[in-house]
Amino acid sequence: MIPAQFDYVRATSAEHALQLLGEHGDDAKLLAGGHSLLPMMKLRLAMPSVLIDIAGLPDLSGVRRDGDDVVIGALTKHGELAASEILEREAPLVAHAAGLVGDPQIRHRGTIGGSLAHADPAADLPSALLASDGWLELQGPEGTRRVAVDDFFTGYFETVLQPDELVVAIGTPRRMGAGWGYEKFTRRANDWGIVTVATVGGRVALGNMGPTSLRARATEQALARGASIPDAAELAAEGTEPVTDLHADGEYRSHLARVLTRRALTRAAG
Amino acid sequence: MEGTTRSVGTSALRVEDTRILSGTGRYADDVKLFGGLHVAFVRSPMPHARILSIDTSAALDVDGVVAVYTGSDFAERTHGISPKLGPPSYRHEPILALAVDKVRHVGDPVAMVIATSRYIAEDGAELVDVDYEQLKAVANIDQALDPARPVIFESIGSNQLFEMTHTAGDVDAGFAAADVIVRETFSQHRVAQVPMEGRGGTAEFAAGNLTYHATSQSPHTLRAYVAESLGLDLEAVRVVNTDIGGAFGLKINTHREDLAVCAAAYWLSRPVKWIEDRNEHLLSSGQAREARMELEAAVRQDGTILALRGDLVIDQGAYVGAPSPGGGHAGLVANLMPGPYAIGGFELHARVIASNKCTFNAYRAPWAIETWSRERMLDVIARELDLDPADVRRRNFAPNDGSAEMFSGLTLLGNSCAESLERALEESDYKALRESQAAARAEGRCVGIGFATYIEAAPGPKNTRAGGRPMHEAAIARLEADGQLSIFTSQAPHGQGHETTLAQVAADEFGVPMESVRVHHGDTANTPWALVGTGGSRAATMATGAVLHSSRQLKAKVLEVAAEILEASPADLRITSGVIHPVGVPSVQLSLADVAAQAYLGTDEEIDESENVLEVEAAYDGGLGGWASGTHLCAVEIDLQTGRVDFDSYLVVEDCGRMINPAIVEGQVRGGVAQGVGEVLYEWSAYDDEANYLAASFMDYLLPTASEIPPIQIVHLENEPNEEVFFRGVGEGGLLVAPAAITNAIEDALAPYGARIRHQYLPPAAVLELAGVIPQD
Ligand SMILES: Cc1cc2nc3c(=O)[nH]c(=O)nc-3n(C[C@H](O)[C@H](O)[C@H](O)COP(=O)(O)OP(=O)(O)OC[C@H]3O[C@@H](n4cnc5c(N)ncnc54)[C@H](O)[C@@H]3O)c2cc1C
Repeated sequence: MIPAQFDYVRATSAEHALQLLGEHGDDAKLLAGGHSLLPMMKLRLAMPSVLIDIAGLPDLSGVRRDGDDVVIGALTKHGELAASEILEREAPLVAHAAGLVGDPQIRHRGTIGGSLAHADPAADLPSALLASDGWLELQGPEGTRRVAVDDFFTGYFETVLQPDELVVAIGTPRRMGAGWGYEKFTRRANDWGIVTVATVGGRVALGNMGPTSLRARATEQALARGASIPDAAELAAEGTEPVTDLHADGEYRSHLARVLTRRALTRAAG
Repeated sequence: MEGTTRSVGTSALRVEDTRILSGTGRYADDVKLFGGLHVAFVRSPMPHARILSIDTSAALDVDGVVAVYTGSDFAERTHGISPKLGPPSYRHEPILALAVDKVRHVGDPVAMVIATSRYIAEDGAELVDVDYEQLKAVANIDQALDPARPVIFESIGSNQLFEMTHTAGDVDAGFAAADVIVRETFSQHRVAQVPMEGRGGTAEFAAGNLTYHATSQSPHTLRAYVAESLGLDLEAVRVVNTDIGGAFGLKINTHREDLAVCAAAYWLSRPVKWIEDRNEHLLSSGQAREARMELEAAVRQDGTILALRGDLVIDQGAYVGAPSPGGGHAGLVANLMPGPYAIGGFELHARVIASNKCTFNAYRAPWAIETWSRERMLDVIARELDLDPADVRRRNFAPNDGSAEMFSGLTLLGNSCAESLERALEESDYKALRESQAAARAEGRCVGIGFATYIEAAPGPKNTRAGGRPMHEAAIARLEADGQLSIFTSQAPHGQGHETTLAQVAADEFGVPMESVRVHHGDTANTPWALVGTGGSRAATMATGAVLHSSRQLKAKVLEVAAEILEASPADLRITSGVIHPVGVPSVQLSLADVAAQAYLGTDEEIDESENVLEVEAAYDGGLGGWASGTHLCAVEIDLQTGRVDFDSYLVVEDCGRMINPAIVEGQVRGGVAQGVGEVLYEWSAYDDEANYLAASFMDYLLPTASEIPPIQIVHLENEPNEEVFFRGVGEGGLLVAPAAITNAIEDALAPYGARIRHQYLPPAAVLELAGVIPQD
């Protein structure tokens, strides 16, 4: 569990990071909180030859209001999200999910940008932002573009993010007072979710029910038609192909998706 | 014990803790020798394959790589080692450090890269090119018993390594007289010991002597195997442990990597160090428990068990453990099966098989399949006959007066299971628990109550263990020149607190404060020989007895010297708080330092030379021996929507005789229960049906954390056997019985759904399958 050899550069600005990415191409990796990247490097599942450390970039951190949205800097840490008063009032689902990531040590290092860029289907923030109808701002050599979270994840640990791009911000519509629910079933207190369900405003997102965080479309449609919560929740796993791993098989995950969707929707309605 | 007890029986603060908690302990990785080299092993990614070729040239080209060894080096230059415990008919191939010609499990070491740093060694290991021809694998017991599967060891010719049939009592008569015959299969999954400190060590060959700084529960055995493997004189090898960060049985056996590291240091004449990482640990240190027991009970309608038949298969993985082979405890199962119950007869057919998995090693109560399957069977009988599980146990308990003999011929001396069960039922208000269970069920909640009893051979009546080998243990007591007392024990403590407990015992016996006693351990150069150092819950009786006797004899010697100086009779002298004085004459005083000075420096002409050496080695044979025992009772609530199991309460009533240090006893009990919770609900060293290993990280191998362990209430019974040494071991009982209590509670909770627990591992999905909420796999 010792990483292969690599070089380390500290970026001084977003532009500098982009320039370094351009220079080193595919061999380089951005380093934010390091809590997904370093474990992969120690197992030699990732062997970048250059690490570009962006953790210290001053402008990419913090939570602010911007019109109808709340905008979160990509380097904002999970712990900061969980403690943010703005989020607690205007996007409490995101704050709550961030507060359930791993344990305090992880929440003090891991960043929202890193979590989304890493695109682990079991992670908490991708589903929370998917349910929230959020978006990402990506900055590349040609400038910035905005991508809906709906369109961001393309596969297992895969996104539309290009190797020469940086996630600079994440946004979510302000939803003061809207009912929301978040359910995370773990085997142990600080684990990843076996299945997670996030819901707000009639959108329902599932974690760990497929290669990416995904919407429970059948449930959403049933709710839109006016179905009862239990009836809508019964459809939660429709169209999903959850993995079987050591912790759970697909059958059990589908069952959990239904149970947790019912719980999350009930909470959102209550 | 002579004199007034001052320290024994108190929760004296652990002597070890200041050092350990302040980070100044010395573990294997803290040994840093000048000019030392580092090892990385190349390990097999395949469960079963022929090694066609190994190309080490690219690794050797890396700057800083000093040597690369492969199996052929070890085949040519070292001797294979063999188990020392276990029956002679147990077939094995002598074990070499690295795989030769074939790999037999994922993680099997095939090459060893030695470099000036661990980083370089790992880079080198990446470049070793091994060409394999994959073979069909043997992944489990059924595959091993299938003659169509390939043989793992060609020289053995079969994947069945051992078979025995053991009969005690009148089994046929019992079955003939039975009203009902209850049959069930109970299987234990693979789990791992997972100590906080993994394996590793630093070997150094200098001035004709090989020193291995190790992390071993059995340093003397490790020493013997290293010497044997390298063809060195035993005297040329020394093993030294300092602090050990846990072991739980894993570090009883000598590991192949130990042999490799010592060989490399010997061949290169340079210090060589290897510390395994967690990934390597989970993959290749070995695992435990995997076994399947089919039990058949001949029972009367009232719950009386007349006889039992068992068919046991133990899966030892590929390579046999040494000194303790994985299936070696089949004999222990045969002897211990009746536990505290008066069962008329038992027939056990036991087999040990090989599979393409990592070595089966001892894990805290390695024979646990016996307690688990028996205590499960008692609950199954209760359910089949519609009796209360407490009544079934009451009906079958052997009398508790020490007279009872198990059908295996062992006495039940010291066991107080009947008492601990009643106490547990009383303490938890069993009747009220059952009433609230009925009320909860009426509300649609799923709650269960489970309990189980155990006896722990700690040390057990004479000859319980290891087929009647002598079980004595020695210790050395020495009065140092400054008047302090040194104890040398052959225990290899790794969390048990022997530096504290043995000091408490010696202090009381000798008449000095505990702070005046220092306990030394772990160095084969100055501790007495022992086949197993710390293991088998031996210390409380065996090491204590040895310390007691050596301290007592030393004290007699010291008093003789003092008597010369004081011109008194030794019989009239006492040692109180470290000061020697004649009985009733407190004004006349002599310090132990004065005696030591006189003896060692010889300033007093009166003292003859034979008294110059204030050092005594004495052994203890365990006396009549006896059992530790107890009952665990827990209440659980299950979320039938998710399969989550929560504990409402967990109660332990345990009896280990008089406690030397209650806080340490409770620590041992709590740790055991925590591991039991882990074993049932979280931990699984999983292999798939092709023997690929699936749990090589802590994301896959789930250890319970503090959040998952319920508060544990502990009640002590202190039945003191009428023996000189009235302490019993307490190392294994907690883990021995916890899985039985927990699975019994879960089955009880799920009883309305007709659930029957046959596999011990119960993750949430399995619980829901048992409840019929989701379909069975
Ligand atoms: C023990 C443990 C438990 C955990 N438990 C959970 C959990 O329960 N739930 C959960 O959701 N997560 C969990 N995590 C993951 C944690 O949340 C990580 O912090 C997060 O997934 C990644 O964030 P990071 O800042 O550490 O990213 P890093 O590890 O630094 O980077 C991850 C990846 O994202 C890329 N990247 C990072 N920042 C950017 C950016 N701004 N733009 C473009 N690419 C970028 C990196 O190049 C890398 O490929 C756990 C982690 C650990 C170690």
